[in-house]
Amino acid sequence: MRKTKKWLAALLAAALLVSTAACGSPSSSGSSSESSKGSSSASSAVSQEGSEPSTADVSDAEPGWKQHADEPITLQWYVNYSWFPRKWEGSKATEKYIKDTGINVELIIPAGNEAEKLNTMIASDTLPDLITLGCTDTQVAEMIDAEMVLPLNKLADEHDPYFYKVANQERLDWYTQDDGNVYGYPNASYSFSDYEKYGNIPSNQVYMVRKDMYEALGKPDMTTPEGFVNTLVAAKEKFPDVDGSPLIPLGTHEFGDTGCWALESYLQNFLAIPYEVDGKWYDRYTDPEYITWLKALRECGEKGLLANDIFVDKRSQMEEKIVQGRYFSMLYQRTDMATQQKIVYENDPEKIYIAIDGPKNSKGDDYTLPGGSIQGWTLTMIGANTEHPDRCIQFFSYFMEPETQMTMHFGPEGVGYTMVDGKPKWIEEAKELSDKDTDAFENQINGGMWMLLDYAMQLEWSDPPKDPLGQLEEWTYDYAFNPSVYNITTPAADSEEMTIKTNIEALWGKTLPKLLLAPTEEEFDQIFEQWKKDRDAAGFDKWMAYQQAQYEKNKEKLGL
Amino acid sequence: MAAATKNWRKQRTTGEIIFDVLIVILMCAICFITIYPIWYVIVNSFNDGADAMRGGIFWWPRVFSLENYKTVFKDSSILTAFGVTVLRTLVGTVLNVFFTAMVAYGLSKTRLIGRNFYLTMGIITMMFNGGLIPTFLLYKNLNLLDNFLVFVIPAMFSFYNAIIFMSFFREIPASLEESAEIDGANDFLIFLRIILPLSKPVLATIALFSGVYHWNDYFSGVIYINKPSLQPIQTYLYRMVAEAGSNQMAAQTADVVKSTTSMSLKLATMVVTTLPIVCVYPFLQKYFVKGMMIGAVKG
Amino acid sequence: MVSAPAKAERKSAHPKLQGLWKQRYLQLMVIPGIIWMFIFNYIPMVGIVIGFKNFKITKSIWEAPWVGFEHFAAFFQDESFGNIMVNTLGIALLKLLICFPLPILFAILLNELRSVKFKRVVQTISYLPHFLSWVVLGGIMITWLSDVGMINEILVGAGILKEPITFLAEPKYFWGLAVISDLWKEMGWSAIIYLAAISGIDQSMYEAATVDGANKIQKIWNITLPAIRGTIAIMFILAVSGIMNSNFDQIFILKNVLNAPRSEVIDTYVYQMGMRVGRYSYATAIGLFKSVVSMILLVIANFTTSKLQGSSLF
Repeated sequence: MRKTKKWLAALLAAALLVSTAACGSPSSSGSSSESSKGSSSASSAVSQEGSEPSTADVSDAEPGWKQHADEPITLQWYVNYSWFPRKWEGSKATEKYIKDTGINVELIIPAGNEAEKLNTMIASDTLPDLITLGCTDTQVAEMIDAEMVLPLNKLADEHDPYFYKVANQERLDWYTQDDGNVYGYPNASYSFSDYEKYGNIPSNQVYMVRKDMYEALGKPDMTTPEGFVNTLVAAKEKFPDVDGSPLIPLGTHEFGDTGCWALESYLQNFLAIPYEVDGKWYDRYTDPEYITWLKALRECGEKGLLANDIFVDKRSQMEEKIVQGRYFSMLYQRTDMATQQKIVYENDPEKIYIAIDGPKNSKGDDYTLPGGSIQGWTLTMIGANTEHPDRCIQFFSYFMEPETQMTMHFGPEGVGYTMVDGKPKWIEEAKELSDKDTDAFENQINGGMWMLLDYAMQLEWSDPPKDPLGQLEEWTYDYAFNPSVYNITTPAADSEEMTIKTNIEALWGKTLPKLLLAPTEEEFDQIFEQWKKDRDAAGFDKWMAYQQAQYEKNKEKLGL
Repeated sequence: MAAATKNWRKQRTTGEIIFDVLIVILMCAICFITIYPIWYVIVNSFNDGADAMRGGIFWWPRVFSLENYKTVFKDSSILTAFGVTVLRTLVGTVLNVFFTAMVAYGLSKTRLIGRNFYLTMGIITMMFNGGLIPTFLLYKNLNLLDNFLVFVIPAMFSFYNAIIFMSFFREIPASLEESAEIDGANDFLIFLRIILPLSKPVLATIALFSGVYHWNDYFSGVIYINKPSLQPIQTYLYRMVAEAGSNQMAAQTADVVKSTTSMSLKLATMVVTTLPIVCVYPFLQKYFVKGMMIGAVKG
Repeated sequence: MVSAPAKAERKSAHPKLQGLWKQRYLQLMVIPGIIWMFIFNYIPMVGIVIGFKNFKITKSIWEAPWVGFEHFAAFFQDESFGNIMVNTLGIALLKLLICFPLPILFAILLNELRSVKFKRVVQTISYLPHFLSWVVLGGIMITWLSDVGMINEILVGAGILKEPITFLAEPKYFWGLAVISDLWKEMGWSAIIYLAAISGIDQSMYEAATVDGANKIQKIWNITLPAIRGTIAIMFILAVSGIMNSNFDQIFILKNVLNAPRSEVIDTYVYQMGMRVGRYSYATAIGLFKSVVSMILLVIANFTTSKLQGSSLF
């Protein structure tokens, strides 16, 4: 079941990424307290908010999509990802979608800068029937505010009460706005009940070392600052060169305008630094544990363990160096180096990267690594210009059907799977193709339309992860948690908060390399103090207040 | 080269020979430095993508592979895209060159009434623009969205090119036009019959600039076109390269290591898209032949 | 303007209209271009007001509230403003000093080659790098310029350097790298326009000079250069007015946190502060600032060149 792992890679990678980057429900606030019971309650929060379908209606409701299968129409569907690789035409799955619903789709995929395309469509009021975009994108709130997208609940009430039968209530609750309406439905969303139901939900964040080197060093402890620095020193002494080029003791994400992700939230998550303390949103950057580790990293810099490469290299240089085995260790996103890991594995299985216990706080607390969260990865919305609002909402319901979800995973019944004892079972040929050539499988069989894919549901049908990637994933199982409540909504593009956020991030981006490369600890302290002052001057209080308010809204919504 | 040198030797002084040799050496060096990146791109595009990730391929493919090119041409709709690009390049270049040359000829005449006003108006367009959104709204109102004309009409005129034309037209001896005027030709006919034939070098230059613009422009295809059938090749390939990255991610769990990577595909794409336009240049070069214009004056 | 020739048909005594009528064909050649510019350049230019407003993409430009010069002030008051101006202008002036004259020299020397075939080959090869994108070229450069890269190998091997340098990690090398890599990529392409100009020179002038006993250098100095002087002047004026524009793709790929003090330019700043989060008004304001400065530079350059040597744009 390469297939599912595939979703894990492509979707979840992005979903997790987004979640740690402070994702959240779009500009929703103070939704009803009833809605927070969501997961256990069968009743619809939407109906409680005053839009009317009674529970009885819903249980009787017939799938709306069945009624129009003989009235073919074409909907335009914009997907806000330039790398989206699939075509609507040509796969068995999409043929089935057309046959079942009578709806053909014309996909609109941007090339290059997605925001440019989407913003232009918004500004010129030329949004298509369906719009899929990232849940943290600033356009989500903008389109809702400008009433450019239609409320799903009202459409469902009017045209397709069946929607409530197949939609996940927790997700609807999370996305219920101040006005009581729901404007979008997420994919790759994990509710709390999904965590209970499916168990092993992974995180993306790992600390990895090169297996052969780490074993040659006698598998030293790297959880304390001393152990960490000493191990890097030992590694550099023992293996000064890799095939003639100097060893890079520690690898991280690319350093950018806003800093380096690995040395910010990753490190903070490893140190189990809380997001909030006693209900107050917490400043994770000034936590003593974090500062201790930043200082340890500064010491690494002083000892020549932070190679210039990590500040200079872009993604493609990093990928080359992973394949070459130039890094001794990496604090990095495991899904971002999977291709490279496989190439290494093919050449020499001893040289692969393995996840080990990385930095821990002084109390030795378990890591807190974010897994998938309720807000998911993308949101799919219905444009207000559509001529077929009824068909759109019915199309949503259609995609939420378990059978459609199976089709997205295996391909249509009889092509990709057969039902055995009420459970789908792979058809061997499809499985083979999926293992051998994911692209071909998606193009020909399952369509690869993940815009309304329920990843949690797909977990049931997945294989356990395999070498050389399995160990990296399995290591995270014990530490992954559902970070939903900490997902901070991105402020609107032109708001004061957004300006402050941008400035604070830029300030940190400039400060972090200075801290790491400070020649002495005194200088580190000076730079750090100066940064705190500058950050306050940039409006840090306001930014904290914004996050606090968002956090409280989230708590209310989730009933915590 | 050697033969040519021999024939000329007797007529040249030692200083001139040294001068010639030095230039040849210099030009060879420049060629080497500039061709190397091209070579690098070509070599790596013919190398297995996964293997190339190990780096170190500088002179020759290590694991020769056509897989990158096969992937690029996998989809037949690439032909439609090629067609769109060829058509827009031809139509767009002809329109741009002719229209700009015509306007520029008028502007190059100092006797033109209102010339300063026109020129000022033109120069302002080089410096100021309204940005994407107002432009998009304009095209929407002109019904240019999802319309082939959006490739050629907004690129029909360029004041920058007009300036280059003007500086060439000004060098044309006035005596030529005067003689035609005496024969009773109007300004338009003079432009058509006298000026254009004399301006082959500058026409070739602007045709090259314009052709390269049309060939390389992916932006109009991204913003103003939604229909797949109207997608130019650059937009198409731009997208393919972007998605290659994600396919890599997606393919990470397939048992087989993919032999293409986003980088190797990018390189193959670059070769495929650049080759046709690069091949045009040698044909234009014949217009960069010495002394053509003055020869005509004398004849 | 369009109806002017028609009016003039009445052959009124007005001398100006008469003049217009006389050059009606000339006017008819120019006016379509003016109309085109009005529609495709001037109508969208209304969008410039965005720079003085707080524009939201979900509202029309007219609904956006006026904020005057707030965005401009925010830009000028930014603590990094001084630094990015220094970098923008520094890199641009260096490019003007080096990347402007060298293509002229290249074109002239190319023209001196005796073998037509060789000339064509060189010409074709030299303009090829223009077609490579900076993403790829930048990647090659990052590898070459690293501490174990080719450049260091050569320099250390030749004894020029004692220790390898990670060029991109040192701010002080950045301007130079930006200029040299730009030259490398664009020299052949920039030379095309001069080659075209040179090809318009009367051969008989060279022949006459040879008879007079002039050597190559003298011929270049006395015939070739003066003949393409006008083209050089025009290109110079255009280059000067482009000083505020950096090559975004180039700078962006070569820039990193270590060399940022010397590599942050206006264009990368706008990208960082504006584009990523969709602050259109701010980006428009900075764009407008650049346009105004460019316009002033253009007028000054035009005035100077026309005084010094008689060629000008207008």
